[in-house]
Amino acid sequence: MTLFQKEMVENWRNKKWIWVPLVMIILAIMDPISNYYMPQIIEAVGGLPEGTVFELPDFAPAEVVMMSLAQFSTLGVLIIVLISMGTIAGERKSGISELILVKPVSYINYITAKWAALLILTLVSFFFGMLASWYYINILYGELSFENFLLIVLFYGLWLTFVVTLSIFYNAMIKTPGLVAFLTIFTIMVMRVITQVFHHLLNWSPNNLSNYIFEMLLTESIPSHLVGTASVTIMLSIILLIASIFIFKKKELAN
Amino acid sequence: MTLLTVKNLTKTYQDKTAVKNINFEFQYGKCIALIGPNGAGKTTILRTLAGLLKPNEGSVTFTNMKPNDDIRKYIGYLPQYPVFYSWMTGLEFLIYSGRLAFLPKMEAKTRAEELLKKVGIYDAKNQRIGKYSGGMKQRLGIAQAIIHKPKLLMLDEPVSSLDPIGRREVLTLMEELKHEMSILFSTHILSDADEISDELLLLHQGEIVEAGSMSELRQKYQTSTIKLQFKENLEGYQSKINALESISNSYMERDVLLVKATDIRLARQEILTTAAQQNWEMTSFTLDRASLEDMFMKVVKNECNG
Repeated sequence: MTLFQKEMVENWRNKKWIWVPLVMIILAIMDPISNYYMPQIIEAVGGLPEGTVFELPDFAPAEVVMMSLAQFSTLGVLIIVLISMGTIAGERKSGISELILVKPVSYINYITAKWAALLILTLVSFFFGMLASWYYINILYGELSFENFLLIVLFYGLWLTFVVTLSIFYNAMIKTPGLVAFLTIFTIMVMRVITQVFHHLLNWSPNNLSNYIFEMLLTESIPSHLVGTASVTIMLSIILLIASIFIFKKKELAN
Repeated sequence: MTLLTVKNLTKTYQDKTAVKNINFEFQYGKCIALIGPNGAGKTTILRTLAGLLKPNEGSVTFTNMKPNDDIRKYIGYLPQYPVFYSWMTGLEFLIYSGRLAFLPKMEAKTRAEELLKKVGIYDAKNQRIGKYSGGMKQRLGIAQAIIHKPKLLMLDEPVSSLDPIGRREVLTLMEELKHEMSILFSTHILSDADEISDELLLLHQGEIVEAGSMSELRQKYQTSTIKLQFKENLEGYQSKINALESISNSYMERDVLLVKATDIRLARQEILTTAAQQNWEMTSFTLDRASLEDMFMKVVKNECNG
């Protein structure tokens, strides 16, 4: 608990609790707003010949949700990786962990405190981002029920949980923050490619979560692969977390 | 009473052995200095005792320790270059350290305040650690190491990075702490070890080459040199002294005459009586005690030759 509190205070003092939610909100509403005002933007910027008729597609709320999620999948993941890359690796590199880990702290607490603090920051920021997106979708594009909003947050939140856990896993293993970030992103990219290549075999790959969320919004019901994929994601996260603790325990902490 | 027993401790890094077959017993309440040149394995030993490194062979046992007990409860450790969370204040860091060692909240706070006073940085307790000077950080480091009243305090080069004033302050602090707990510290500054430690472990290339209390080692490496100083006319006196029976040879080092004797007692007697009879203008007479420096050089040389 002491460790967890320290993480929260640290993230507050270094302003992560301010900028991460803000960035997530911006990411979430950027596409919904810019697409809605596209005609005006084009007009204001000019450059089109007189009399050009330009048909812009009308987006359904579900499609706009997917735009926000697409932003989270790219820039959002990048931000999560950047804020998490040094959480353990950086402490070991700087040598501060030498002071902390000679105290009788349990390695389980050390890892889980880091994990939980990051996860809360990530999920709360994502929640606010998605809330902003939901608000604009409702006023600009049409109705998206609050229930659907919560389901999106729940299921996509699992994907972000997986990303955070993956980063913690590499943090426990390696003490170079840059390498942690690279490996996390690299792993996610490899997973995406594998999921695409073997899509008929890997129906429940965590990378499919956002596709199934789209399906859920279109069909207005929770598809069974969404539940399956969600379970797989949870399982993978738990395994990674346990593996992190295990690796960290085995490690020589001064090196 | 034995506090700690180290048996056959060996630690190898990828290709090189940092510490070879170290054995020693640590008596309760002692202050032991690990001395040796850079790279002798001092830090490796301390880190292994602190549990930060895992030995390849051998064991470290605290007396009265239950099996599966966490040795980290009984030790306080200050690394050579302590790093803190620079966004915390000194007080916050100490409370945090105390809480990590399972002190209850209130106790951690009172203990932290108490230690800040003791190490002399109470006035800066609400400043961010990022603004602390090197000496202040070192003192904060000692405070965090003893916040949970460990039985053994381990300090890795506690004074070598400090300026003379900071050094003096930390040495005084260690002198005080000696009465409360056992201390093991490493240093390559021999005079510091000489000043506060009860026992010495001389390390060279990962092995203990000599161990014992200061007086034991002094006796063992006693040199038979007498240092003499005169008001003037050193050369004149040198020839007179060389004429004495018990003197094997002598040489000058600046304004000091170093005299090697065959029998130190006899030489003392002869020099002093002759000086009194002939009314020499002698300004100082010193029986040169083996300094740590000489001892160290001798031991290391023997190692190399033998």
